[in-house]
Amino acid sequence: MNKSFYSIFKTFFKVGTLLLGGGYVILPLLTSELVEKKKWITSDELCEFYAIGASLPGIIAANTAIFTGRKLLGFRGAVAAILGMILPAFLAIVLLASILHELIDKPTVQHIFWGVGIGVITLLFLAVKEMWKKSVNDKLSYIVFIISLALALTQKVPLALIIIGALIFGIIWQKIEDKHNGGKVDE
Amino acid sequence: MNNLYLQLFAQFFHVGLFSFGGGYATLPFLYDIADKFHWYSSKQLTDMLAVASITPGPVGVNVATFAGFTTSGILGALLATTAVVLPSFIIVSIVARVLDKFKTNKTVQSAIRGIKAAGCALLTSVGIKLLFTSNLHLLGTILLGLFIGTSFIKKQDPLFYLGISAVIGLALGYFNLIGV
Repeated sequence: MNKSFYSIFKTFFKVGTLLLGGGYVILPLLTSELVEKKKWITSDELCEFYAIGASLPGIIAANTAIFTGRKLLGFRGAVAAILGMILPAFLAIVLLASILHELIDKPTVQHIFWGVGIGVITLLFLAVKEMWKKSVNDKLSYIVFIISLALALTQKVPLALIIIGALIFGIIWQKIEDKHNGGKVDE
Repeated sequence: MNNLYLQLFAQFFHVGLFSFGGGYATLPFLYDIADKFHWYSSKQLTDMLAVASITPGPVGVNVATFAGFTTSGILGALLATTAVVLPSFIIVSIVARVLDKFKTNKTVQSAIRGIKAAGCALLTSVGIKLLFTSNLHLLGTILLGLFIGTSFIKKQDPLFYLGISAVIGLALGYFNLIGV
């Protein structure tokens, strides 16, 4: 399928519609649509967009969508992606605004919400598995992963700080490695 | 231009510009807005968080649309929603351009290696937190085990997992088999 403004918009509209549980599932949804079905980008690229998107200010799902859209079709792709992703959210809230309060007190809605939560955790698991394969595969990444996870779970360290720490750690690690190799370029 | 529109735009632009870490990182800002401007109450915001889980889209975007819509109708909703994603648009465009240029730079590459591993860790931590705060009970845990177990044999479409789990939640709730 060719990457036109409309096809990108349509794809992200679908992803935006399925973006339940607060935006965390952007990675598994995009993996399914863009990597597996349409083969527009590789899993490697997507993981990178997600990781960088998560380390910038702003809403992660939006950052990831804009990054990906830009890769697909430049500025127009970025616009198509963000519009597609935001529109379902926008419509849902505008249409439901007046009954939102009653809605969440309904047992039926609570039950659906409970169920969807299980689907969301499943998708998160699949996303972590995929991302693990692509980004945690050497000594540097194991160390960063373990320390970052521990820090994130304490809920005491701002997430931005963890990411910035990982960034600096990566650079320092490289410098030390270079020194050990005596300035030789490895690989 | 109406002052309220301007304020809506400025406040949600601020949220988009300064919330690091996504998802619930926007919360302190959103509570702050509730205190200062009374576009929505803290109670309404707490409700909204529950609503955001069952409506499409990220929490921050949902709250922006809601605040804009309840205070000044569809135009307000449009303004607040645009404002909350506009910083993303600007920042990502700049960063992507810079990255394109320095992609082959070794220092940039090692920084990205670090960021990717940390990103994976943050996603893992979200999963773990959800696992412990979702009140899965026995049936939910079994269902999750089934989903994850079968995913090793054949990974299904995300829509499959979300759809099936919604239907199962509805059915189990109907027969009073879950505690919510």
